[in-house]
Amino acid sequence: MNATGHQITKVSIGSLNDGGNPQSQYIDQQAIPYLIQQAMAAHGANIQGVSGASYTSAGFERSLQGALTQLGL
Amino acid sequence: MGTVVTFDVYRRGGIDPTEFLAFLARAVDSLHHDDKVFSTWKPESAVNRLRRGEITLGEAPAEVTEVLEACRHAREVSGGWFDPWAMPGGVDPTGYVKGWAAQRALDELRGAGLDGAMVNAAGDIACFGVPEPGHVFRVGVVRPNAPLELACVVELRAAIATSGTYERGAHLVNPGSGEHRSAVASASVTGPDLGLADALATALCVAGAPVLSLIDGLANYEAFTIDERGALCSTAAFPFAHSGASRAS
Repeated sequence: MNATGHQITKVSIGSLNDGGNPQSQYIDQQAIPYLIQQAMAAHGANIQGVSGASYTSAGFERSLQGALTQLGL
Repeated sequence: MGTVVTFDVYRRGGIDPTEFLAFLARAVDSLHHDDKVFSTWKPESAVNRLRRGEITLGEAPAEVTEVLEACRHAREVSGGWFDPWAMPGGVDPTGYVKGWAAQRALDELRGAGLDGAMVNAAGDIACFGVPEPGHVFRVGVVRPNAPLELACVVELRAAIATSGTYERGAHLVNPGSGEHRSAVASASVTGPDLGLADALATALCVAGAPVLSLIDGLANYEAFTIDERGALCSTAAFPFAHSGASRAS
């Protein structure tokens, strides 16, 4: 994560825990930039948490709350 | 079913980890204890043994009675739309327990000298205090048909639970008909207690409008729903945040 003053300029998630399934790895690679973009937008909305329908452990990794937590936002 | 619970803690001047970790350990122990007693996914949990008739309510840990009492109250105020006794396989308080367990885990952090703290149990959130002096906690609620986008932002003073079928499919049961069908795509309830908010969110998702008007008449609880087309319906005093950071009153 890169930050300039109070402005976050760039964040990244290395990989999501997908159990090594090649298909889901491919999907994750497509989805990660969007997940990061949405996490930054949420962070910009000055929120401390995200409420939504119950996710499983695997669902957490690709949820908005999961992205905020993993990125330390 | 496994899930993730996160704690976020706030204190001006930083947190001393050696002192704080003892409080956090108690919060985590509380979650593990409640999971062991109430999980319907663990064959040997007290609730499953009760469901199979291997033990009586009197032989179960005292908190099972406490939770079932609270469930009875939730059934009453939800007009019967939340009903653990109508679930297939015997009494199932899961719809109340996740919120209740998260709430009491958070309460373990109250003595830790924090400015504020928030627990998020798979999308159901409780908080106390403030994230920074002069500000209240703000929580986003996701759009059911695009869960990485926010439908709205809520000013949170205690608890919010959201129910919907977009993460795990049609798992909600209509206690009247036994059908897996929800009236709305997403239902959120705020109020002082995350257990009751969790139960009411489940009822609201299944029933829609009838439970929304019941919650409108309930002191200290507010709610809103989002339907399949994205239309939002709320009780009169729902604490939606206006744009920009909000000041504590």
